[in-house]
Amino acid sequence: MGNKKKVKTTCRMCGTLCGITAHIEDNKVVEIEGNPDHIFSKGRICIKGSSAATWLNLPDRIYKPLKKNIKGDFEEIELEQAMEEIAAKLLELQNKYGNNAIGFWKGEGIDFEQQEGLYRRLAHAVGTPNYFSNDTQCYASRHIAFYLVYGCWPLADYANANLIINWGTNAPISHSHWTQAINEGREKGAKLIIIDTRYTEIARQADIYVQIRPGTDGALAWGIIREMIKRNEIDHDFVDKFTVGYDKVVEYAKSFTPEYVAEITAISPAVIHQIVDEITKARPRLASWVGCGIEHQINGVNNIRAITMIDALAGATDRKGGMRTPMGFNLPDLTLYEKKPLLELDPIGAKRFPVIYEMRHECHTLMLMDQILSGKPYPFKGLVMSAANPVLTNANSGKVTKALSALDLFVVKDLFLTETARMADYVIPAASYLEREEMFFNGAMRAGFITGKYLDYGLQTEYEFVKELAERMGAGEYFPWKDDHELNEWILKPTGYTTEDLHTAPGGFIFGDNPTEKHYQKAASGEKMFDTPTGKVEFYSMYLEAKNIPGIDALPQYHPPYYLAQPDPEYPFLLSTGARKQKYFHGRYRNIPQLYKAEPNGHLEMHPDDAKALGLKNGDRVRVTSRIDSFDTIVQVMHEKEIFKGSMQHTHGFVNENVNNITYDDVYDPISGFPVFKSIQVKVEKIDK
Amino acid sequence: MKVITLDTSKCVGCRNCELACAFINSKETCERKFSMIRVNHYIEEHAVIPMTCLHCEDPWCMAVCPSGAITRDPETNAVIIQDEKCAGCKMCILACPYGNIHFDAELMVSHKCNLCEGNPRCVGHCISGALNFEEIEDFNERSRKKVDLEISKYMKQTCKTQEVDSNGK
Repeated sequence: MGNKKKVKTTCRMCGTLCGITAHIEDNKVVEIEGNPDHIFSKGRICIKGSSAATWLNLPDRIYKPLKKNIKGDFEEIELEQAMEEIAAKLLELQNKYGNNAIGFWKGEGIDFEQQEGLYRRLAHAVGTPNYFSNDTQCYASRHIAFYLVYGCWPLADYANANLIINWGTNAPISHSHWTQAINEGREKGAKLIIIDTRYTEIARQADIYVQIRPGTDGALAWGIIREMIKRNEIDHDFVDKFTVGYDKVVEYAKSFTPEYVAEITAISPAVIHQIVDEITKARPRLASWVGCGIEHQINGVNNIRAITMIDALAGATDRKGGMRTPMGFNLPDLTLYEKKPLLELDPIGAKRFPVIYEMRHECHTLMLMDQILSGKPYPFKGLVMSAANPVLTNANSGKVTKALSALDLFVVKDLFLTETARMADYVIPAASYLEREEMFFNGAMRAGFITGKYLDYGLQTEYEFVKELAERMGAGEYFPWKDDHELNEWILKPTGYTTEDLHTAPGGFIFGDNPTEKHYQKAASGEKMFDTPTGKVEFYSMYLEAKNIPGIDALPQYHPPYYLAQPDPEYPFLLSTGARKQKYFHGRYRNIPQLYKAEPNGHLEMHPDDAKALGLKNGDRVRVTSRIDSFDTIVQVMHEKEIFKGSMQHTHGFVNENVNNITYDDVYDPISGFPVFKSIQVKVEKIDK
Repeated sequence: MKVITLDTSKCVGCRNCELACAFINSKETCERKFSMIRVNHYIEEHAVIPMTCLHCEDPWCMAVCPSGAITRDPETNAVIIQDEKCAGCKMCILACPYGNIHFDAELMVSHKCNLCEGNPRCVGHCISGALNFEEIEDFNERSRKKVDLEISKYMKQTCKTQEVDSNGK
């Protein structure tokens, strides 16, 4: 064979970002293994990571831009023509309907982090405030909750913890390398408590598994808080010096007696006491994490805030073995929110959900669909999407399909013709994560990572696409850097390091130490201790109090989830979606043959009692109906311990069993605007075929 | 000589090892039936048990094989089955007390772990850290440390006056 090389870089088959060693022969990746030098994944990767060696070489990968002809078929065109026509059409739409009639949507299919900043910059550079991503359905609720309480996105220091608590998160499937860290902590003696409606993979090693009634985690958190206060197991020194609202916490927690909490959560008072016993023994080395499982409820943000408060009350905040807070890198911001906020152009969703807009600058993807269809409050006609697949992953697929079809211009940049890309007017081939230089950073570990152009198929990088589009639309001044390498050097400049430095340590370049208990030093030197309005950990949010939005509490009060608050006897079962499979990442990778053969279908996971009541057995076909629509799927009867009775789970992303046909796009967490993926009321009936 | 060690206290049954093994063997699918490593989960017992060939020093399978298809790789010490010599009699499957030999119904031969010629993919895909490819003495060392930690905790509780280092040193 000709040219062979091994490169150490980062996997981007999901958002966990493990270290990989890619074996490359003649400009083709032939195998991918773990990189033993990686600071988190330590040489281990999941099946998605290694399957990229198949995925990146699949014969149906797109290498030429495609344009849909009048008949609705794609025809290959030259990139020059595609870019010219797309830019002209976007400008035409802006001239005709207004600058905000177009928008940009960043997906999770190909990038690490920078792409997000680039697309945000591009949107504002060309005069529209409408930037979208999947963050309005995943991640941002936790971001909001953590920032409201801590003012940062913390890192659970599992490896040094005495107690690890996971709420609605399943590391082995969703964040694989955290499993190693959890096991490292356990090997040194940490106890593991898993709170989840499903007995997940990580629950199999739990010391205490707590099967909670779906969506009631906030009540359990308040019950734990009440018991901690009652036993006086509070880090008073930390609470006195570094928090606000403790008196309100004490007052509100009073009613959450173990008996009352047991009624709400279906967790016995004895188990609640057991959890608090463990916290008492372990604190302050309590490392806890909250997953997407908690986000997708109308009370999601508040439940996460209440859970987060436990860490602070136990004194775990920025402690070794607790919740480490990050240190910044002082990097320049690519976005233009300060220079060119464009608020007068009414970013979609910003009025209805001001918190997520102000805290995350995310426009609302669900409201976007309504706006495309109704033209209200203003017309929205053109959308450029980079590697997202909302036809499978957004709530209410039927509406998504209708809305995307109604656009005057729909452009998708991707590696493959996904379900969403097939709807586009233009499809632009994307360069994969092995085909461009990109950086990302971890503030808690003070680590930086860099990738490189290890393969070259002559494809446009994300930066080149964004830059060229901006130039053709008359906003080239915002993208002065020649290529992504020059951009990266500019980004790194304030740190005093270069991309060359980062390349010396592909498993994680450490910028310096991140000491614990930084708030003590900051307090002494008069610095802001936490990035909240008061500079303290806020049990009571001064930001939310000042916003004074009806229905949004400054204290994270407990409210029941939607399916309990609005029970509907016509739809007696609770459907939850969003739990992943280890082979897939949301809507992706069903086109990898070896993975698809091993798991071609989605399944409706249900409790054996529910199966019995419905007269169902494993493998039966069923129709699942919510008030939105219905979809057909296959029954999987779980062990009685594996799922909360009365609730069912169906993983998203299966085109033939598309659960998002029936998910609500009109019921939201009032703070974050998140849809309630885990509060869908359904009926289930057996069908023949 | 390195061996694959299995730590049941870390395995979560994510089955990435099975998927990787199935693919490296079949070249075309990750289906479990093609995997030489199998993970079993017993929910009532709260147990997850990964199991693959232990490459015994005195293997029953090798002793019983009438066609001489089972040999030891001098480089990796792996007990391997040569497809072209295997008669498909299944004696090795009956002889293995751990159920670590599988039958390939298409090729009509027995199949087992061959340590991927010294780079076992199951270990590289073990995201929990339960599987390791290591010298048996290194495994001992780790086991010993775990036990020492338990003992030292117990000693701390019982002999209040005696401080014991948590590493058991």
